[in-house]
Amino acid sequence: MSAAGSDQRAASAKRPATPLIQVFEPHKAQTPPLIPYAKEFWERRAFALELARFADKAEYLESKLGKAWLVLNPLFLSVIYFLLVTVLRGGASKTTGLSTLAHILIGIFMFYFAQNIISDGAQSITAGGRLILNQAFPRALLPFSSSVRAFGQFWPTIPTYFAVVLIGKIFYPKTVIPLADLNYLWAPFIIAALAITAFGLSLVFAVMNVYFRDTSKLLTYTTRIWLYGSPVLWMPEMLHGWHRSFLYINPLGPALAATYHVWIEGVRPSNAEFIGMGAWMVLSMVLGTYFFTSRERDFAVRI
Amino acid sequence: MAMDKERIRLGNSTPSTTILQAKGYNGPISIPDDLAIRIEDLSITYKINVDTKKTLKNAVMRASKGEKVRMRTVEAVKKVSLDIPHGSVVGIVGANGAGKSTLMRSIAGIMPPTTGRIIVNGKISTLLALGVGFNPALSGRDNIILGGLAAGLTRDEIESKTDEIAEFADLPDGFIDMPVRTYSSGMYGRVAFAVSVSMTPDILLLDEALSAGDAAFKEKSFLRMRELVEEARTIVIVSHALATISDLCDTAIWMHKGKLLAHGEPGAIVEEYLKFLEVGTLPSNLEDM
Repeated sequence: MSAAGSDQRAASAKRPATPLIQVFEPHKAQTPPLIPYAKEFWERRAFALELARFADKAEYLESKLGKAWLVLNPLFLSVIYFLLVTVLRGGASKTTGLSTLAHILIGIFMFYFAQNIISDGAQSITAGGRLILNQAFPRALLPFSSSVRAFGQFWPTIPTYFAVVLIGKIFYPKTVIPLADLNYLWAPFIIAALAITAFGLSLVFAVMNVYFRDTSKLLTYTTRIWLYGSPVLWMPEMLHGWHRSFLYINPLGPALAATYHVWIEGVRPSNAEFIGMGAWMVLSMVLGTYFFTSRERDFAVRI
Repeated sequence: MAMDKERIRLGNSTPSTTILQAKGYNGPISIPDDLAIRIEDLSITYKINVDTKKTLKNAVMRASKGEKVRMRTVEAVKKVSLDIPHGSVVGIVGANGAGKSTLMRSIAGIMPPTTGRIIVNGKISTLLALGVGFNPALSGRDNIILGGLAAGLTRDEIESKTDEIAEFADLPDGFIDMPVRTYSSGMYGRVAFAVSVSMTPDILLLDEALSAGDAAFKEKSFLRMRELVEEARTIVIVSHALATISDLCDTAIWMHKGKLLAHGEPGAIVEEYLKFLEVGTLPSNLEDM
Protein backbone atom coordinates (compact mmCIF):
# COMPACT_ATOMS: atom_id res chain seq x y z
CA MET A 1 0.00 0.00 0.00
CA SER A 2 1.53 3.28 -1.03
CA ALA A 3 1.53 6.38 1.11
CA ALA A 4 -0.13 8.27 -1.77
CA GLY A 5 -2.91 5.67 -1.88
CA SER A 6 -3.30 6.00 1.85
CA ASP A 7 -3.60 9.77 1.53
CA GLN A 8 -6.27 9.48 -1.19
CA ARG A 9 -8.22 7.03 0.88
CA ALA A 10 -7.94 9.13 3.98
CA ALA A 11 -9.28 12.06 2.01
CA SER A 12 -12.30 10.07 0.85
CA ALA A 13 -12.56 8.04 4.02
CA LYS A 14 -16.06 6.73 4.53
CA ARG A 15 -17.35 7.98 7.83
CA PRO A 16 -20.55 6.68 9.37
CA ALA A 17 -23.51 8.58 7.85
CA THR A 18 -24.65 9.39 11.34
CA PRO A 19 -21.89 9.28 13.96
CA LEU A 20 -22.06 6.04 15.91
CA ILE A 21 -19.95 6.79 18.92
CA GLN A 22 -19.22 4.14 21.50
CA VAL A 23 -17.22 4.93 24.62
CA PHE A 24 -15.46 2.25 26.63
CA GLU A 25 -14.38 3.42 30.07
CA PRO A 26 -13.37 1.74 33.34
CA HIS A 27 -16.31 0.45 35.32
CA LYS A 28 -17.12 2.19 38.59
CA ALA A 29 -17.12 -0.21 41.55
CA GLN A 30 -16.30 -2.96 39.03
CA THR A 31 -19.80 -2.96 37.55
CA PRO A 32 -20.85 -1.48 34.20
CA PRO A 33 -23.31 1.46 34.39
CA LEU A 34 -26.66 -0.22 35.02
CA ILE A 35 -28.95 1.91 32.82
CA PRO A 36 -26.92 1.64 29.56
CA TYR A 37 -26.40 -2.06 30.37
CA ALA A 38 -30.14 -2.65 30.81
CA LYS A 39 -30.88 -0.65 27.66
CA GLU A 40 -28.46 -2.69 25.58
CA PHE A 41 -29.78 -5.90 27.16
CA TRP A 42 -33.28 -4.95 25.99
CA GLU A 43 -32.11 -3.93 22.50
CA ARG A 44 -30.30 -7.25 22.00
CA ARG A 45 -33.13 -9.44 23.35
CA ALA A 46 -33.80 -10.86 19.86
CA PHE A 47 -30.38 -12.51 20.02
CA ALA A 48 -31.23 -14.20 23.35
CA LEU A 49 -34.59 -15.41 22.03
CA GLU A 50 -33.06 -16.83 18.83
CA LEU A 51 -30.20 -18.41 20.79
CA ALA A 52 -32.78 -20.17 22.96
CA ARG A 53 -34.68 -21.36 19.89
CA PHE A 54 -31.54 -22.62 18.15
CA ALA A 55 -30.22 -24.35 21.31
CA ASP A 56 -33.54 -26.20 21.55
CA LYS A 57 -33.43 -27.11 17.88
CA ALA A 58 -29.86 -28.43 18.22
CA GLU A 59 -30.72 -30.56 21.24
CA TYR A 60 -33.72 -32.31 19.73
CA LEU A 61 -32.52 -32.45 16.11
CA GLU A 62 -31.57 -36.11 16.19
CA SER A 63 -34.13 -37.38 18.69
CA LYS A 64 -36.98 -39.35 17.11
CA LEU A 65 -39.50 -38.22 19.69
CA GLY A 66 -38.09 -34.70 19.49
CA LYS A 67 -39.72 -32.20 21.79
CA ALA A 68 -42.13 -34.81 23.15
CA TRP A 69 -39.30 -35.61 25.61
CA LEU A 70 -39.85 -32.19 27.18
CA VAL A 71 -43.13 -33.54 28.55
CA LEU A 72 -42.35 -37.25 28.70
CA ASN A 73 -39.24 -36.87 30.83
CA PRO A 74 -40.83 -35.05 33.82
CA LEU A 75 -44.02 -37.11 33.35
CA PHE A 76 -42.13 -40.41 33.73
CA LEU A 77 -40.15 -38.99 36.66
CA SER A 78 -43.38 -37.94 38.37
CA VAL A 79 -44.86 -41.41 37.95
CA ILE A 80 -41.68 -42.99 39.37
CA TYR A 81 -41.70 -40.61 42.36
CA PHE A 82 -45.44 -41.24 42.85
CA LEU A 83 -44.83 -45.00 42.96
CA LEU A 84 -41.95 -44.51 45.43
CA VAL A 85 -44.00 -42.25 47.68
CA THR A 86 -47.04 -44.55 47.70
CA VAL A 87 -44.86 -47.61 48.38
CA LEU A 88 -43.24 -45.77 51.32
CA ARG A 89 -46.68 -44.83 52.63
CA GLY A 90 -47.91 -48.39 52.30
CA GLY A 91 -50.24 -47.79 49.33
CA ALA A 92 -52.46 -45.06 47.94
CA SER A 93 -56.12 -44.56 48.87
CA LYS A 94 -58.83 -43.95 46.25
CA THR A 95 -59.41 -40.44 47.58
CA THR A 96 -55.85 -39.23 48.05
CA GLY A 97 -53.97 -41.15 45.35
CA LEU A 98 -54.83 -38.80 42.51
CA SER A 99 -54.16 -35.73 44.71
CA THR A 100 -50.70 -37.10 45.53
CA LEU A 101 -49.98 -37.77 41.85
CA ALA A 102 -51.23 -34.30 40.86
CA HIS A 103 -49.13 -32.67 43.59
CA ILE A 104 -45.98 -34.52 42.54
CA LEU A 105 -46.72 -33.82 38.89
CA ILE A 106 -47.11 -30.04 39.19
CA GLY A 107 -44.31 -29.91 41.77
CA ILE A 108 -41.88 -31.77 39.49
CA PHE A 109 -42.88 -29.62 36.48
CA MET A 110 -42.28 -26.43 38.48
CA PHE A 111 -39.08 -27.67 40.13
CA TYR A 112 -37.59 -28.85 36.82
CA PHE A 113 -38.46 -25.48 35.29
CA ALA A 114 -36.40 -23.75 38.00
CA GLN A 115 -33.68 -26.41 37.84
CA ASN A 116 -33.31 -26.00 34.06
CA ILE A 117 -33.02 -22.23 34.43
CA ILE A 118 -30.31 -22.64 37.07
CA SER A 119 -28.26 -25.49 35.58
CA ASP A 120 -28.43 -24.38 31.92
CA GLY A 121 -27.79 -20.79 32.99
CA ALA A 122 -24.78 -21.93 35.04
CA GLN A 123 -23.20 -23.41 31.93
CA SER A 124 -24.23 -20.65 29.55
CA ILE A 125 -21.08 -18.54 29.91
CA THR A 126 -18.55 -21.36 29.66
CA ALA A 127 -20.51 -22.84 26.74
CA GLY A 128 -20.60 -19.46 24.98
CA GLY A 129 -16.79 -19.23 24.88
CA ARG A 130 -16.25 -18.14 21.28
CA LEU A 131 -19.17 -15.75 21.34
CA ILE A 132 -17.71 -14.10 24.43
CA LEU A 133 -14.23 -13.88 22.94
CA ASN A 134 -15.54 -12.40 19.70
CA GLN A 135 -18.51 -10.15 20.40
CA ALA A 136 -19.38 -7.39 22.83
CA PHE A 137 -22.87 -7.75 24.29
CA PRO A 138 -24.30 -7.83 27.81
CA ARG A 139 -23.23 -11.27 28.97
CA ALA A 140 -26.39 -11.65 31.08
CA LEU A 141 -28.14 -12.35 27.75
CA LEU A 142 -26.65 -15.86 27.81
CA PRO A 143 -28.21 -17.01 31.12
CA PHE A 144 -31.35 -15.11 30.11
CA SER A 145 -31.45 -17.14 26.91
CA SER A 146 -31.24 -20.31 29.02
CA SER A 147 -34.22 -19.07 31.05
CA VAL A 148 -36.23 -18.39 27.90
CA ARG A 149 -35.41 -21.88 26.70
CA ALA A 150 -36.42 -23.38 30.04
CA PHE A 151 -39.77 -21.59 29.80
CA GLY A 152 -40.26 -22.96 26.28
CA GLN A 153 -39.70 -26.42 27.71
CA PHE A 154 -41.93 -25.80 30.72
CA TRP A 155 -45.17 -24.45 29.28
CA PRO A 156 -46.24 -27.65 27.42
CA THR A 157 -46.25 -29.43 30.81
CA ILE A 158 -49.23 -27.34 31.99
CA PRO A 159 -51.76 -28.83 29.50
CA THR A 160 -50.21 -32.21 30.33
CA TYR A 161 -51.04 -31.63 34.00
CA PHE A 162 -54.65 -30.78 33.17
CA ALA A 163 -54.93 -33.83 30.90
CA VAL A 164 -53.68 -36.16 33.67
CA VAL A 165 -56.01 -34.62 36.28
CA LEU A 166 -58.98 -34.72 33.88
CA ILE A 167 -58.41 -38.38 33.06
CA GLY A 168 -57.78 -39.14 36.75
CA LYS A 169 -61.07 -37.51 37.78
CA ILE A 170 -62.96 -39.72 35.36
CA PHE A 171 -61.65 -42.78 37.21
CA TYR A 172 -61.65 -41.23 40.70
CA PRO A 173 -64.54 -38.71 40.68
CA LYS A 174 -64.48 -38.27 44.49
CA THR A 175 -61.00 -36.73 44.44
CA VAL A 176 -61.08 -33.05 45.41
CA ILE A 177 -58.75 -31.28 42.99
CA PRO A 178 -59.93 -28.11 41.26
CA LEU A 179 -59.91 -28.18 37.48
CA ALA A 180 -61.04 -24.61 37.13
CA ASP A 181 -60.73 -22.20 40.01
CA LEU A 182 -60.41 -18.43 40.35
CA ASN A 183 -57.31 -18.94 42.47
CA TYR A 184 -55.57 -20.28 39.35
CA LEU A 185 -55.15 -16.61 38.50
CA TRP A 186 -52.29 -16.62 41.06
CA ALA A 187 -50.44 -19.24 39.00
CA PRO A 188 -48.79 -16.83 36.49
CA PHE A 189 -47.49 -14.75 39.39
CA ILE A 190 -46.07 -17.86 41.12
CA ILE A 191 -44.46 -19.07 37.88
CA ALA A 192 -42.95 -15.61 37.32
CA ALA A 193 -41.64 -15.47 40.93
CA LEU A 194 -40.08 -18.91 40.55
CA ALA A 195 -38.50 -17.98 37.20
CA ILE A 196 -37.09 -14.66 38.45
CA THR A 197 -35.65 -16.25 41.59
CA ALA A 198 -34.09 -19.06 39.54
CA PHE A 199 -32.71 -16.57 36.99
CA GLY A 200 -31.05 -14.55 39.78
CA LEU A 201 -29.49 -17.75 41.13
CA SER A 202 -28.39 -18.79 37.63
CA LEU A 203 -26.39 -15.54 37.39
CA VAL A 204 -24.49 -16.47 40.55
CA PHE A 205 -23.82 -20.05 39.41
CA ALA A 206 -22.82 -18.90 35.90
CA VAL A 207 -20.02 -16.81 37.41
CA MET A 208 -18.99 -19.60 39.78
CA ASN A 209 -18.78 -21.99 36.82
CA VAL A 210 -16.38 -19.62 35.06
CA TYR A 211 -14.10 -19.58 38.11
CA PHE A 212 -14.58 -23.22 39.15
CA ARG A 213 -15.48 -25.57 36.32
CA ASP A 214 -16.85 -28.29 38.58
CA THR A 215 -19.70 -26.02 39.75
CA SER A 216 -22.09 -27.37 37.11
CA LYS A 217 -21.26 -30.96 38.12
CA LEU A 218 -21.82 -30.09 41.76
CA LEU A 219 -25.17 -28.54 40.81
CA THR A 220 -26.37 -31.90 39.48
CA TYR A 221 -26.14 -33.37 42.99
CA THR A 222 -27.17 -30.20 44.80
CA THR A 223 -30.41 -29.87 42.84
CA ARG A 224 -31.30 -33.51 43.60
CA ILE A 225 -30.95 -32.84 47.34
CA TRP A 226 -32.76 -29.51 46.80
CA LEU A 227 -35.69 -31.41 45.24
CA TYR A 228 -35.97 -33.69 48.28
CA GLY A 229 -35.83 -30.64 50.58
CA SER A 230 -38.61 -28.85 48.68
CA PRO A 231 -42.37 -29.37 49.05
CA VAL A 232 -42.58 -31.49 45.89
CA LEU A 233 -42.56 -35.08 47.18
CA TRP A 234 -44.09 -33.98 50.51
CA MET A 235 -46.74 -31.41 51.38
CA PRO A 236 -46.00 -28.05 53.01
CA GLU A 237 -48.52 -28.82 55.77
CA MET A 238 -46.28 -31.66 56.93
CA LEU A 239 -43.98 -29.06 58.49
CA HIS A 240 -45.06 -27.64 61.86
CA GLY A 241 -43.73 -25.05 64.29
CA TRP A 242 -40.16 -23.89 63.69
CA HIS A 243 -39.74 -26.60 61.04
CA ARG A 244 -41.83 -24.41 58.75
CA SER A 245 -38.83 -22.07 58.50
CA PHE A 246 -37.30 -24.72 56.17
CA LEU A 247 -39.91 -23.65 53.62
CA TYR A 248 -38.67 -20.07 53.67
CA ILE A 249 -34.90 -20.55 53.82
CA ASN A 250 -35.24 -22.52 50.59
CA PRO A 251 -35.25 -19.96 47.70
CA LEU A 252 -37.76 -22.09 45.78
CA GLY A 253 -39.72 -23.13 48.89
CA PRO A 254 -42.35 -20.34 49.07
CA ALA A 255 -43.19 -20.63 45.36
CA LEU A 256 -43.47 -24.43 45.50
CA ALA A 257 -45.63 -24.26 48.64
CA ALA A 258 -47.83 -21.66 46.93
CA THR A 259 -48.04 -23.97 43.90
CA TYR A 260 -49.42 -26.72 46.13
CA HIS A 261 -52.04 -24.42 47.65
CA VAL A 262 -53.25 -23.03 44.32
CA TRP A 263 -53.16 -26.14 42.13
CA ILE A 264 -54.04 -28.90 44.59
CA GLU A 265 -56.08 -27.16 47.30
CA GLY A 266 -57.52 -24.40 45.11
CA VAL A 267 -56.80 -21.72 47.72
CA ARG A 268 -54.93 -18.42 47.66
CA PRO A 269 -51.23 -18.63 48.72
CA SER A 270 -50.61 -17.51 52.31
CA ASN A 271 -49.27 -14.05 53.11
CA ALA A 272 -46.04 -15.66 54.34
CA GLU A 273 -45.67 -17.34 50.96
CA PHE A 274 -46.19 -14.04 49.13
CA ILE A 275 -43.59 -12.34 51.34
CA GLY A 276 -41.21 -15.27 50.89
CA MET A 277 -41.59 -15.23 47.08
CA GLY A 278 -41.10 -11.46 46.94
CA ALA A 279 -38.08 -11.52 49.24
CA TRP A 280 -36.33 -14.29 47.32
CA MET A 281 -37.07 -12.61 43.96
CA VAL A 282 -35.52 -9.33 45.10
CA LEU A 283 -32.62 -10.94 46.96
CA SER A 284 -31.62 -13.31 44.16
CA MET A 285 -31.91 -10.63 41.46
CA VAL A 286 -29.94 -8.01 43.42
CA LEU A 287 -27.22 -10.45 44.47
CA GLY A 288 -27.15 -12.22 41.09
CA THR A 289 -27.02 -9.02 39.06
CA TYR A 290 -24.28 -7.48 41.21
CA PHE A 291 -22.19 -10.65 41.34
CA PHE A 292 -22.56 -11.27 37.60
CA THR A 293 -21.94 -7.74 36.30
CA SER A 294 -19.02 -7.17 38.68
CA ARG A 295 -17.28 -10.30 37.30
CA GLU A 296 -18.38 -9.93 33.68
CA ARG A 297 -15.11 -8.28 32.63
CA ASP A 298 -13.17 -11.39 33.67
CA PHE A 299 -15.08 -13.73 31.38
CA ALA A 300 -12.99 -12.94 28.28
CA VAL A 301 -9.77 -13.91 30.06
CA ARG A 302 -11.03 -16.86 32.08
CA ILE A 303 -12.94 -18.99 29.58
CA MET B 1 9.76 5.57 14.40
CA ALA B 2 10.23 5.15 18.14
CA MET B 3 7.26 6.22 20.22
CA ASP B 4 7.19 9.38 22.22
CA LYS B 5 4.93 9.71 25.26
CA GLU B 6 2.31 11.73 23.33
CA ARG B 7 -0.78 10.27 21.72
CA ILE B 8 0.22 8.83 18.34
CA ARG B 9 -1.82 9.64 15.26
CA LEU B 10 -1.56 6.96 12.60
CA GLY B 11 -1.90 7.65 8.86
CA ASN B 12 -0.92 10.68 6.83
CA SER B 13 -4.07 12.78 6.91
CA THR B 14 -4.29 16.12 8.69
CA PRO B 15 -6.42 16.26 11.83
CA SER B 16 -10.03 17.36 11.38
CA THR B 17 -11.31 20.43 13.13
CA THR B 18 -14.91 19.15 13.29
CA ILE B 19 -15.49 17.78 16.75
CA LEU B 20 -18.22 15.23 17.55
CA GLN B 21 -19.74 15.32 21.00
CA ALA B 22 -21.03 12.27 22.83
CA LYS B 23 -21.89 11.20 26.33
CA GLY B 24 -19.47 8.95 28.19
CA TYR B 25 -20.13 7.13 31.44
CA ASN B 26 -18.23 9.82 33.30
CA GLY B 27 -19.43 12.94 31.46
CA PRO B 28 -19.31 14.43 27.97
CA ILE B 29 -16.58 13.37 25.54
CA SER B 30 -15.45 14.72 22.18
CA ILE B 31 -13.70 13.19 19.19
CA PRO B 32 -12.59 14.72 15.83
CA ASP B 33 -14.95 13.42 13.12
CA ASP B 34 -12.10 12.01 11.00
CA LEU B 35 -11.14 9.51 13.70
CA ALA B 36 -12.46 5.97 13.74
CA ILE B 37 -10.74 5.02 17.00
CA ARG B 38 -9.22 7.13 19.76
CA ILE B 39 -7.35 5.34 22.53
CA GLU B 40 -6.55 7.52 25.53
CA ASP B 41 -3.90 6.38 28.03
CA LEU B 42 -5.25 2.85 27.98
CA SER B 43 -4.10 0.30 30.53
CA ILE B 44 -5.63 -3.13 30.99
CA THR B 45 -4.83 -5.45 33.86
CA TYR B 46 -6.60 -8.56 34.97
CA LYS B 47 -6.09 -11.45 37.34
CA ILE B 48 -5.77 -15.05 36.30
CA ASN B 49 -5.95 -18.20 38.36
CA VAL B 50 -2.61 -20.01 38.01
CA ASP B 51 -3.69 -23.13 39.88
CA THR B 52 -3.54 -26.21 37.67
CA LYS B 53 -6.94 -27.35 38.97
CA LYS B 54 -9.51 -24.56 38.67
CA THR B 55 -12.15 -26.39 40.65
CA LEU B 56 -14.37 -25.61 43.60
CA LYS B 57 -13.01 -28.74 45.25
CA ASN B 58 -9.44 -27.41 44.98
CA ALA B 59 -10.51 -23.99 46.32
CA VAL B 60 -12.25 -25.62 49.31
CA MET B 61 -9.23 -27.86 49.98
CA ARG B 62 -6.92 -24.82 49.89
CA ALA B 63 -9.25 -22.83 52.13
CA SER B 64 -9.31 -25.70 54.66
CA LYS B 65 -5.50 -25.43 54.83
CA GLY B 66 -5.73 -21.67 55.23
CA GLU B 67 -4.35 -21.11 51.72
CA LYS B 68 -5.76 -18.86 49.00
CA VAL B 69 -6.29 -19.69 45.33
CA ARG B 70 -3.05 -18.70 43.51
CA MET B 71 -3.67 -15.65 41.35
CA ARG B 72 -1.39 -13.62 39.08
CA THR B 73 -1.99 -10.07 37.90
CA VAL B 74 -1.37 -9.61 34.18
CA GLU B 75 -0.61 -6.11 32.91
CA ALA B 76 -1.66 -6.78 29.34
CA VAL B 77 -1.72 -3.20 28.00
CA LYS B 78 0.25 -0.32 29.52
CA LYS B 79 -0.59 3.33 28.93
CA VAL B 80 -1.31 3.17 25.20
CA SER B 81 -2.53 6.32 23.42
CA LEU B 82 -3.39 6.17 19.75
CA ASP B 83 -5.55 7.87 17.11
CA ILE B 84 -6.66 5.80 14.12
CA PRO B 85 -8.32 7.87 11.34
CA HIS B 86 -11.16 6.52 9.19
CA GLY B 87 -9.81 4.66 6.16
CA SER B 88 -6.63 3.41 7.87
CA VAL B 89 -5.41 -0.15 7.56
CA VAL B 90 -3.36 -0.78 10.68
CA GLY B 91 -1.32 -3.90 11.32
CA ILE B 92 -0.24 -4.92 14.81
CA VAL B 93 2.83 -7.08 15.28
CA GLY B 94 4.40 -8.40 18.44
CA ALA B 95 5.43 -11.58 20.20
CA ASN B 96 2.99 -13.76 22.13
CA GLY B 97 1.90 -11.96 25.30
CA ALA B 98 2.55 -8.52 23.80
CA GLY B 99 -1.04 -7.42 24.47
CA LYS B 100 -2.23 -7.39 20.83
CA SER B 101 -5.34 -9.50 21.34
CA THR B 102 -6.25 -7.70 24.57
CA LEU B 103 -5.94 -4.35 22.77
CA MET B 104 -8.22 -5.64 19.98
CA ARG B 105 -10.77 -6.90 22.52
CA SER B 106 -10.77 -3.57 24.30
CA ILE B 107 -11.39 -1.71 21.02
CA ALA B 108 -14.29 -4.11 20.37
CA GLY B 109 -15.73 -3.34 23.83
CA ILE B 110 -15.22 -6.92 24.98
CA MET B 111 -12.59 -6.05 27.60
CA PRO B 112 -13.26 -2.72 29.36
CA PRO B 113 -10.21 -0.63 30.30
CA THR B 114 -8.68 -0.67 33.76
CA THR B 115 -7.68 2.95 33.27
CA GLY B 116 -7.96 5.25 30.25
CA ARG B 117 -10.66 5.38 27.61
CA ILE B 118 -11.49 4.16 24.12
CA ILE B 119 -13.78 6.10 21.81
CA VAL B 120 -14.96 4.36 18.65
CA ASN B 121 -16.89 6.07 15.86
CA GLY B 122 -18.56 3.49 13.63
CA LYS B 123 -20.04 0.02 13.44
CA ILE B 124 -17.52 -2.65 14.45
CA SER B 125 -17.26 -6.16 13.07
CA THR B 126 -14.83 -8.57 14.69
CA LEU B 127 -13.15 -11.84 13.98
CA LEU B 128 -11.09 -12.32 17.11
CA ALA B 129 -11.75 -16.03 17.67
CA LEU B 130 -12.54 -18.42 14.84
CA GLY B 131 -16.00 -19.99 14.82
CA VAL B 132 -18.28 -17.17 15.82
CA GLY B 133 -21.02 -18.68 17.98
CA PHE B 134 -20.90 -21.89 16.06
CA ASN B 135 -23.03 -24.73 17.41
CA PRO B 136 -21.75 -27.92 15.70
CA ALA B 137 -25.19 -29.58 15.70
CA LEU B 138 -26.80 -26.72 13.75
CA SER B 139 -26.54 -26.05 10.04
CA GLY B 140 -24.18 -23.46 8.58
CA ARG B 141 -27.22 -21.28 7.77
CA ASP B 142 -28.45 -21.36 11.38
CA ASN B 143 -24.96 -20.59 12.66
CA ILE B 144 -24.57 -17.66 10.29
CA ILE B 145 -27.88 -16.25 11.59
CA LEU B 146 -26.70 -16.71 15.20
CA GLY B 147 -23.35 -15.08 14.47
CA GLY B 148 -25.07 -12.15 12.77
CA LEU B 149 -27.52 -11.64 15.62
CA ALA B 150 -24.66 -11.74 18.13
CA ALA B 151 -22.95 -9.04 16.08
CA GLY B 152 -26.05 -6.84 16.38
CA LEU B 153 -27.67 -7.37 12.97
CA THR B 154 -31.38 -8.00 12.65
CA ARG B 155 -32.60 -11.40 11.48
CA ASP B 156 -33.77 -9.94 8.15
CA GLU B 157 -30.40 -8.29 7.55
CA ILE B 158 -28.45 -11.46 8.19
CA GLU B 159 -30.86 -13.75 6.28
CA SER B 160 -30.48 -11.56 3.19
CA LYS B 161 -26.71 -12.13 3.33
CA THR B 162 -26.68 -15.87 4.07
CA ASP B 163 -26.35 -17.09 0.48
CA GLU B 164 -23.72 -14.47 -0.27
CA ILE B 165 -21.74 -15.66 2.79
CA ALA B 166 -22.04 -19.32 1.72
CA GLU B 167 -20.83 -18.41 -1.77
CA PHE B 168 -17.93 -16.39 -0.43
CA ALA B 169 -16.94 -19.22 1.93
CA ASP B 170 -16.77 -21.61 -1.07
CA LEU B 171 -19.07 -24.12 0.59
CA PRO B 172 -19.87 -27.10 -1.66
CA ASP B 173 -23.50 -27.33 -2.88
CA GLY B 174 -25.95 -28.02 -0.09
CA PHE B 175 -23.39 -27.69 2.71
CA ILE B 176 -24.96 -24.48 3.95
CA ASP B 177 -27.87 -26.58 5.26
CA MET B 178 -25.69 -29.35 6.70
CA PRO B 179 -24.63 -29.47 10.38
CA VAL B 180 -21.40 -27.57 11.01
CA ARG B 181 -19.86 -30.68 12.62
CA THR B 182 -19.66 -32.15 9.10
CA TYR B 183 -17.47 -29.23 7.95
CA SER B 184 -13.71 -29.45 7.59
CA SER B 185 -11.68 -27.04 9.73
CA GLY B 186 -10.97 -24.99 6.59
CA MET B 187 -14.69 -24.66 5.79
CA TYR B 188 -15.34 -23.68 9.40
CA GLY B 189 -12.74 -20.92 9.29
CA ARG B 190 -13.91 -19.70 5.88
CA VAL B 191 -17.50 -19.32 7.06
CA ALA B 192 -16.33 -17.38 10.14
CA PHE B 193 -14.27 -15.03 7.97
CA ALA B 194 -17.10 -14.63 5.46
CA VAL B 195 -19.53 -13.68 8.24
CA SER B 196 -17.24 -10.99 9.63
CA VAL B 197 -16.50 -9.32 6.27
CA SER B 198 -20.13 -9.45 5.15
CA MET B 199 -21.35 -7.15 7.92
CA THR B 200 -20.32 -4.02 5.96
CA PRO B 201 -18.63 -2.63 9.04
CA ASP B 202 -17.09 0.81 9.40
CA ILE B 203 -14.33 -0.79 11.46
CA LEU B 204 -13.14 -4.37 10.96
CA LEU B 205 -11.00 -6.01 13.66
CA LEU B 206 -9.22 -9.22 12.63
CA ASP B 207 -7.03 -11.31 14.92
CA GLU B 208 -5.16 -14.04 13.03
CA ALA B 209 -8.25 -14.43 10.89
CA LEU B 210 -6.46 -14.60 7.56
CA SER B 211 -4.94 -17.97 8.42
CA ALA B 212 -8.25 -19.70 7.56
CA GLY B 213 -8.49 -21.81 4.45
CA ASP B 214 -6.16 -22.85 1.68
CA ALA B 215 -4.02 -20.69 -0.64
CA ALA B 216 -6.96 -20.00 -2.97
CA PHE B 217 -9.17 -18.80 -0.11
CA LYS B 218 -6.33 -16.69 1.29
CA GLU B 219 -6.09 -14.95 -2.09
CA LYS B 220 -9.87 -14.43 -2.06
CA SER B 221 -9.69 -13.07 1.49
CA PHE B 222 -6.96 -10.65 0.45
CA LEU B 223 -9.09 -9.46 -2.48
CA ARG B 224 -12.08 -8.90 -0.20
CA MET B 225 -9.87 -7.05 2.26
CA ARG B 226 -8.56 -4.86 -0.54
CA GLU B 227 -12.17 -4.12 -1.56
CA LEU B 228 -12.89 -3.04 1.99
CA VAL B 229 -9.73 -0.94 1.95
CA GLU B 230 -10.83 0.70 -1.32
CA GLU B 231 -14.18 1.48 0.29
CA ALA B 232 -12.07 3.30 2.87
CA ARG B 233 -13.19 1.20 5.78
CA THR B 234 -10.94 1.14 8.82
CA ILE B 235 -9.24 -2.19 9.37
CA VAL B 236 -7.05 -3.32 12.26
CA ILE B 237 -5.22 -6.61 11.73
CA VAL B 238 -3.23 -8.69 14.19
CA SER B 239 -1.14 -11.29 12.44
CA HIS B 240 2.02 -13.30 12.89
CA ALA B 241 2.07 -13.61 9.08
CA LEU B 242 4.27 -10.56 8.56
CA ALA B 243 3.83 -10.61 4.79
CA THR B 244 0.11 -9.96 5.39
CA ILE B 245 0.96 -6.86 7.42
CA SER B 246 3.38 -5.57 4.75
CA ASP B 247 0.97 -6.30 1.87
CA LEU B 248 -2.30 -5.05 3.30
CA CYS B 249 -1.54 -2.32 5.79
CA ASP B 250 -0.56 1.29 5.33
CA THR B 251 0.60 1.66 8.94
CA ALA B 252 1.93 -0.82 11.45
CA ILE B 253 2.50 -0.75 15.16
CA TRP B 254 4.74 -2.99 17.20
CA MET B 255 3.63 -3.99 20.67
CA HIS B 256 5.97 -5.44 23.24
CA LYS B 257 5.01 -6.49 26.77
CA GLY B 258 1.89 -4.34 26.71
CA LYS B 259 3.58 -1.21 25.42
CA LEU B 260 3.34 0.43 22.04
CA LEU B 261 6.97 0.20 21.03
CA ALA B 262 7.04 1.66 17.53
CA HIS B 263 4.79 2.74 14.68
CA GLY B 264 5.32 3.63 11.06
CA GLU B 265 5.53 2.23 7.54
CA PRO B 266 4.76 -1.52 7.69
CA GLY B 267 7.89 -2.66 5.85
CA ALA B 268 10.17 -0.83 8.29
CA ILE B 269 8.27 -2.01 11.37
CA VAL B 270 8.27 -5.61 10.15
CA GLU B 271 12.01 -5.37 9.41
CA GLU B 272 12.75 -4.07 12.93
CA TYR B 273 10.53 -6.74 14.44
CA LEU B 274 12.21 -9.49 12.43
CA LYS B 275 15.61 -8.30 13.62
CA PHE B 276 14.31 -8.47 17.19
CA LEU B 277 13.04 -12.02 16.61
CA GLU B 278 16.46 -13.05 15.25
CA VAL B 279 18.64 -11.56 17.98
CA GLY B 280 16.13 -11.57 20.85
CA THR B 281 17.00 -8.07 22.07
CA LEU B 282 15.26 -4.79 21.35
CA PRO B 283 16.94 -2.22 19.09
CA SER B 284 19.04 0.17 21.20
CA ASN B 285 16.75 3.15 20.39
CA LEU B 286 13.74 1.27 21.85
CA GLU B 287 15.33 -0.30 24.90
CA ASP B 288 14.18 2.38 27.30
CA MET B 289 10.52 2.10 26.26
